[in-house]
Amino acid sequence: MSTTEAMSVGYQNRAATRKSMNILRNWALPLLLVLLFVISALLVPNFSELTTIRAIFLQTALIGICAVGMTALTLSGNLFSLGVTPTVILGAMVYVWVGEASKSMWIAAAVTIVAVLVTGVVQGFIVSLGLNAVIVTLAVGAVIYGVTALVTKGALVEPSEKVDLAGFATFAIFGIPLPVIVFVVFTAVAWLLTQHTLIGRKIFLLGANKSAAEISGISPRATTVWAFILMSFGFGIAAVLASAQIHSVQADQLPALTLDTVAAVLVGGCAVSGGDGSPIKSAIGALFIATVAQIMVLLSVPDGLKQLVLGIVVVALVVILHVLRKAGSR
Amino acid sequence: MNDQLPLRLRAKGITKSFGAVNALADVDFELRAGEVMALLGENGAGKSTIVKVISGLIVPDQGEITLDGDVVHLTSVRASQEAGIAVVQQEFSTVGSMTVAENLVLGQNSAPAWWSPKKLTVNAKGILSRVGLDDLDPNTPVDKLSVAEMQLVEIARVLAKDARIIIFDEPTAALSDAEIARVLDAVKRLASEGRSIIYVTHRLGEVFEIADRVTIFRNGRSQPAENVADLTVDAVVAKMIGRELGHLYPERSRSRGEVLLEARNLKVPGIRGEVNLTVRRGEILGLTGQLGSGTSELMQALAGTNDVLAGEVNLEGTPVDLRSRRRGIVSGVAYCSPDRKRDGIFAGLSIRRNLSSPWLGSVSKAGFVSTRRESSEALRSATDFTIDTTRLNSTVGTLSGGNQQKVALGKWLGIHPRVLLVEEPTRGVDVGARAEIYAKLRALSDAGVGIIVASSDTNEILGLSDTIATYYRGKQTTIKPASEWTEPDLVREVMHRED
Repeated sequence: MSTTEAMSVGYQNRAATRKSMNILRNWALPLLLVLLFVISALLVPNFSELTTIRAIFLQTALIGICAVGMTALTLSGNLFSLGVTPTVILGAMVYVWVGEASKSMWIAAAVTIVAVLVTGVVQGFIVSLGLNAVIVTLAVGAVIYGVTALVTKGALVEPSEKVDLAGFATFAIFGIPLPVIVFVVFTAVAWLLTQHTLIGRKIFLLGANKSAAEISGISPRATTVWAFILMSFGFGIAAVLASAQIHSVQADQLPALTLDTVAAVLVGGCAVSGGDGSPIKSAIGALFIATVAQIMVLLSVPDGLKQLVLGIVVVALVVILHVLRKAGSR
Repeated sequence: MNDQLPLRLRAKGITKSFGAVNALADVDFELRAGEVMALLGENGAGKSTIVKVISGLIVPDQGEITLDGDVVHLTSVRASQEAGIAVVQQEFSTVGSMTVAENLVLGQNSAPAWWSPKKLTVNAKGILSRVGLDDLDPNTPVDKLSVAEMQLVEIARVLAKDARIIIFDEPTAALSDAEIARVLDAVKRLASEGRSIIYVTHRLGEVFEIADRVTIFRNGRSQPAENVADLTVDAVVAKMIGRELGHLYPERSRSRGEVLLEARNLKVPGIRGEVNLTVRRGEILGLTGQLGSGTSELMQALAGTNDVLAGEVNLEGTPVDLRSRRRGIVSGVAYCSPDRKRDGIFAGLSIRRNLSSPWLGSVSKAGFVSTRRESSEALRSATDFTIDTTRLNSTVGTLSGGNQQKVALGKWLGIHPRVLLVEEPTRGVDVGARAEIYAKLRALSDAGVGIIVASSDTNEILGLSDTIATYYRGKQTTIKPASEWTEPDLVREVMHRED
């Protein structure tokens, strides 16, 4: 009844509105970002300096790789991971420990990624039994934090002077730092995975309608585990890059990373319910978050106010995107 | 004696169309004070639309409604409620975690801002005794009630609003016999208080038990109300169907091949006794029964989404593994569920992505989906099912019900099914798309796909199937060729088994 009714009421007009709403939704964030850059370049002192731009992109690389990874989880209809920080910190410590023992940053990187993947697979299995992903990642995150804090007794974990583990952060091609290149490549690969592989497609279908996916023969359990694996792969890479960059790691570092990652995914326009979103959009979301944060650093905004502004910006954007999505799908 | 009762509600010349569909055409309806008026009609006959008009959910295009002699404009649910009209919904609107007493004051118009626990209990006791729930502790959470008790609490909630006209929309659809008796008692009691009752149902037995008069709808038109005492079951059924099957349904094929699917001694939760079924090449098997008759459970078991307790299913002589949907798909069993919005389509995704969902693996190599093969296969399915091929990138949620259903069915073509199980193939689908869906199902059957259709629409089952099995309250009752059924027989079989 209601569908026929919807058809009869100005069907043509609705289609047109829907189309323009969708265009607006897809381009709102890139446009805002350009606007933000132009205004900041004009008004914010030192914004157009090369060091500022470099700082923004280095920051984006860390948040962005995490956000692109988390997009897989959000797309699958499993909301977010709230354990980004402890997971990345654990990985960063593993990188230092293994690097110290093996004297090779390559072996250290490989072991780090595998270690983080293991944490992801474990959480994926727990969630696939029917538990809520937010709760599981929060709990496992707390456990990981507890373990790292206990093992290190809160002290710094840093490589001795004999080994050089900073290579991944200092290396640059044509002046572009390696983390930024890794970020761009990772985003492209993630896009390819979500759009053109069986796993990626199943993640989309599962998030779009779990019951329909099951009837279509897609296993919600296996697909959920895969989403966790993809996400953890991102966290593992982020851990290596973060460790190489910050040199010495402590259990309570990077406190804002979890929230920044979630914010980037949300601002990127991923549907919280799943089935709608893209790694590229989340990457742009990360760039936006990192830019706003850097502007406030330049303006020497006090810490509390910085959090407040960032919070307001995220909420406002998410509400706008939500309204546009509603208008676009009706 | 009813003729002496004063007229309470009168709807005259009500017309409502949705696009090209005439849901109501010049409908007259009247309701006297203190009477129980039953509304009967097949799916889509217009009975739920007139109920929506009276309850203010739909504003008619034309017509006039008078209440106790005054013209009223029921343009919103609120306006209808203020005029003293209340609806007991099929779906419960109670809040499960709250107590019965608390639920009874929710949404009450003249409620004070603060209720003391004692006042809540006293208030609830008074209302509950009027629906025969004297023994129920008002402090029980609604979650803990049986379905019948919930239905009675739902009625009690309406009573708390003190309505003059109460509409019941299939209140007994999900209840057992003993529970039905309690609900019917409550309805009778309300009528004896002088309230007017509109009772929508699919069950003829109930009509003869509680209704004073009956209004029968057919194809969006009403027939003058008649006293139930003057009617027989046969007369009612004849008035309800009274239309030709016409050329909506495709011609049956004459050839019948070897056995494709055979279910032997199948035991399934939700069905009493064992089920034996066979489908031959070129044959469409129709299962029919009301909601809760067990057809859905049986179909789900065959699809691999419901448990199988005992028995076996053979597909062309080899046993099928029914332990999961995945295995069912591998052995060529396609399953189209009755509720496409819930689990038939991905509303937010494109037609192409919907169509490819069950057979993505077959167009993939080493984990990568071949977009080219996916597109060409999806295009073939869309063409086959007359889905607009220029819109393959549109999201399915924006399509009409008929096109959504074509997508829900069409996605199974790509697995090259050996058996296609379809529940409610045309629910919420316009006539044009219905004919196309029927034609396609027949064409698939002729091409050698075994087809089982389950539907509560007896007309559809009779028009489409070669063999018909009937179900009533979780039990298979009769199975015989469609040619040996007449529609009145079939309607009576699924609605009116008084044994």
